[in-house]
Amino acid sequence: MEFWTGAIGITKMRMIPSALANGYDLFAQDAASAEEMGFDAYGAPEHHFTYDAFLPFPLGALAAAAANTTKIRLVTGAMLQPLYDPLEAAEHAATLDVLSGGRVILGLGMGYRPLEFDGIGTEKRTRGARLREAMEVIRAATAQETFTHHGAHYHYDNVTLRPAPVQRPIEMWLCGGTTEAAARRAGKAGLPYWLANSPYERAEVMVKAYREAGREAGWPDEQLRVAAFKDVFIGDTMGEAEFLRKMMIDTFYAEHILGYGYLVDDEGNHVYNPDENHPMYRQFLDSLFCGTLDETIRELKRYEALGVDAMFFPSIQRELISTRIIPEFK
Amino acid sequence: MKVGLSWDLAGDDASVLWPVVNLEAEAGDNLGYDSLWIGESRDRTCSCPSPAVWLTYLARRTKSAQLRAIRLVTHANPVRVAEEFAVLDGFCRGRAGIAFAAAGAAPGQVQETIDFVSHAWALDEFRYRGEHIRFPAHTPDDAPAGASTPQRTAPCVPQWEWGPEPPDYLTVTPKPYATHPPVHAEITDDDILEWAAVHGVSPLITAATPTAEAVERLARYRATADAHGRSRAEVEPVLERRLALDGPSDAHTLGGSPHELAEAIRAATSQAAVTHLVWRRGEGSNGDLFRFASDVQPLLQT
Repeated sequence: MEFWTGAIGITKMRMIPSALANGYDLFAQDAASAEEMGFDAYGAPEHHFTYDAFLPFPLGALAAAAANTTKIRLVTGAMLQPLYDPLEAAEHAATLDVLSGGRVILGLGMGYRPLEFDGIGTEKRTRGARLREAMEVIRAATAQETFTHHGAHYHYDNVTLRPAPVQRPIEMWLCGGTTEAAARRAGKAGLPYWLANSPYERAEVMVKAYREAGREAGWPDEQLRVAAFKDVFIGDTMGEAEFLRKMMIDTFYAEHILGYGYLVDDEGNHVYNPDENHPMYRQFLDSLFCGTLDETIRELKRYEALGVDAMFFPSIQRELISTRIIPEFK
Repeated sequence: MKVGLSWDLAGDDASVLWPVVNLEAEAGDNLGYDSLWIGESRDRTCSCPSPAVWLTYLARRTKSAQLRAIRLVTHANPVRVAEEFAVLDGFCRGRAGIAFAAAGAAPGQVQETIDFVSHAWALDEFRYRGEHIRFPAHTPDDAPAGASTPQRTAPCVPQWEWGPEPPDYLTVTPKPYATHPPVHAEITDDDILEWAAVHGVSPLITAATPTAEAVERLARYRATADAHGRSRAEVEPVLERRLALDGPSDAHTLGGSPHELAEAIRAATSQAAVTHLVWRRGEGSNGDLFRFASDVQPLLQT
């Protein structure tokens, strides 16, 4: 199982005030640090028009990380693909792939914040379908010498991507979704699937649904790969771990997860600022694993047994993960 | 006078050529060249369609040189351009700049893109209604033309409490590190020349234009700007040329011994009030970076 990790410094976190340029310095240094610690990939996410100057251009930031590193993979997690023209996304990715010597991984999500779609000027309603079609376009653009594509949303004739990326095609994952329906759509399309933070039991259901749909559609098992975002908070005691989780919620998740409609109920409705007893909020809290070191290793072994190919951890407690957890899996 | 570097990107394999460019860029930065330029293009095997990505890479490999991109207006979502370059400017701590090339777009679209990006960098919440740009997308037809800002009528509501309704005004974030990053317009026709001169937008002429024509256009730009009372101090006219150290001059190339080359550069730039020369590296251009920096550049400064 691969270990991927998330970026720091790409936003001005409210309870950890710092100049953004210092954060960007930290980001580039942090990529080198993650590489030294033995992580397999270093990731950057994307959001727009936020009060905290969140990073809007992950492939740009990862170019800075590429300049500071030599072997760690550079992963977008998640890049909001419906906000890009797919060929433009392929061009950014190919540029970084050449500069980094073939280290790019595209984690592509569909986005959910209405203000982002309105600000960039693209339709939100069709974002799921456009994400899947865009992944076809990016695969064709990065794999083939010349490609033509005519789909429901995108049209290209005899296009040659220049420069050609080092990877043919560039590795891609479809990110996100906490519903079985989302997992089934990814499986049906034969796209490697990157689960959002979920409690293990939910993740298990989704992985099974994903693989079942993929096999029914005729995709080979080796193509039906799974990655998972997994926030873990490790303490000597459960109380200590829960304190760390509360810190993460207070500094970041209280706004970013709860305030912008990230949580989606079983009817597909976005939930804005739910109270702490709302079932979706409870489920989200449950997805943030708290435990001792041994309990954390046992939890991650369950994901390994489920056949998860890569786990993505936030930057918190990275050294502990590097020295005490990764060796248990390598 | 400032001197920068740009590259042809002619080759068969970007994985081979681009590292060479990176080495030259790092050497140029160390030798005191003032700027490094990556132009957006798609017509060659080693073209770069994403200058912001490449320059953000160079942001971590260089310390002093300005990092300048040439973006094609026809391929630019102006919101994304404003964001990409703000990120670049943060990573290089205020060394980023951008030039817009029409590449077939109407002069009005070039002007609107520059106007929008400049406002996106300068303003907090705003909206924009132009012929080519609406920001946010639901901005109504009766909104004031160009950029407009909201009237404060109610207490502030934090962004995370706004809920699902998209707001009428948005802030493009992050902001650039510099207050006003350099913005240039490539002068490809008379409309853009006139608009840029009147509005105080710095002109750029690339190596594709013969020297005599480039000098004529830039001189006309200056005359127009002077006629409208614009100060020379507010703009940075840029002239990109091929240089041939100890080589011949031609329509696009300035050449000769170090002394002759310095004379040719001074003659061209003084006629056109140019303050920033960019050395286009590649076909028909030769001479090593160290020798130019040591033998020619001092003659340009005195």
